[in-house]
Amino acid sequence: MITVTIEPDGLPFEAPQANTVLQLLNRMGLRSSRTLVIRDNRLLTPDQRLQHGDAVTLRKVGSKG
Amino acid sequence: MKCSRCREPAVVALPSHHAGFCAPCFDIFALRQVERAIKKHSLLSPDDRILVALSGGKDSLALMHILHRLGYTATGLHLDLGIDDSSEFARASVEAFCARHGFPLIVHEFAAQGIAIPLVRRAIKRPVCAVCGKLKRHSFNRLAREHGFTVLATGHNLDDEVGRLFANVLRWDRAYLADQGPLLPAEDGFVRKIKPLYRLTEFELANYCFLQGIEHHMRGCPFSKGASFSTHKELWEELESHSPGQKLNFYETFLKTGRPVFENLEQQEGASLSPCDVCGSPTSAEVCSVCRITAQVRGQARQ
Repeated sequence: MITVTIEPDGLPFEAPQANTVLQLLNRMGLRSSRTLVIRDNRLLTPDQRLQHGDAVTLRKVGSKG
Repeated sequence: MKCSRCREPAVVALPSHHAGFCAPCFDIFALRQVERAIKKHSLLSPDDRILVALSGGKDSLALMHILHRLGYTATGLHLDLGIDDSSEFARASVEAFCARHGFPLIVHEFAAQGIAIPLVRRAIKRPVCAVCGKLKRHSFNRLAREHGFTVLATGHNLDDEVGRLFANVLRWDRAYLADQGPLLPAEDGFVRKIKPLYRLTEFELANYCFLQGIEHHMRGCPFSKGASFSTHKELWEELESHSPGQKLNFYETFLKTGRPVFENLEQQEGASLSPCDVCGSPTSAEVCSVCRITAQVRGQARQ
């Protein structure tokens, strides 16, 4: 399981295991070109592998007026 | 993924540039995009007095940060729109950012003029986003002139510009197509307006803020739900995912081949401007739309 927080305003939740960042984004319905993926205060690229127990923040970047 | 420049592990993937970058190389990339925009369109000169519109979001804070890193001296201007549960956070974000970096800041409150946006929203019969934008642009220009600035810089990014261009094309709005671009020269009572971030996407600017430790306001405006610009941006994201680089190409090609055509047409047939009878700002009517809206809002508030 991976702990995911979607910003802004999201609460942490448990997401099913995904092998890569891109796989996780696809499952969340998010685009890699519109989302920062952060683990341990570091940015991840879509090809990077995720591990069981990872805590990941998905920060949506679209302006909202 | 390896960094396209130095082969270290990448932290940012940019399909539109067929590249990935490590943090130091991404920083070089971002600064170069802004330098290139400034140079290509002669946006700034060393003796300019620059006012930067600061909303508290990532784009405007990144713009202020980058301009200072490129050696320009700029003052921030924040418009407090008076929207409950929103404006106070945006203002706090701007004030903390400027205090942290020692940037000069001017704060202007709409409520002090009797035009807090919730009052405007109640008084008008059309979507508030367009009117809010009009009031902001009017205030930016008036305050820039009153404080003696030669140029107003805004944090519009590539997604903003492509979204707006797309909307203008859908309406074939000749007047807007004639003056859309990273540079609007000073004329007829308007200070020069520039958009030095137009070559960077929202995603790239969000990465810049993260890597520079810039804390920005992330909450959306409570009044902008369902605004058409969000839909246009989504459509373009879909196009970009199928054909990376299309956004920048669409916009740059418009600047090169499309805009001159509309500029010529407007010069021949466009409306001429004269000072507003009330505030003196340039307008094609006797009283500008901002003064008409302000009178309407104040009248409604007195009832």
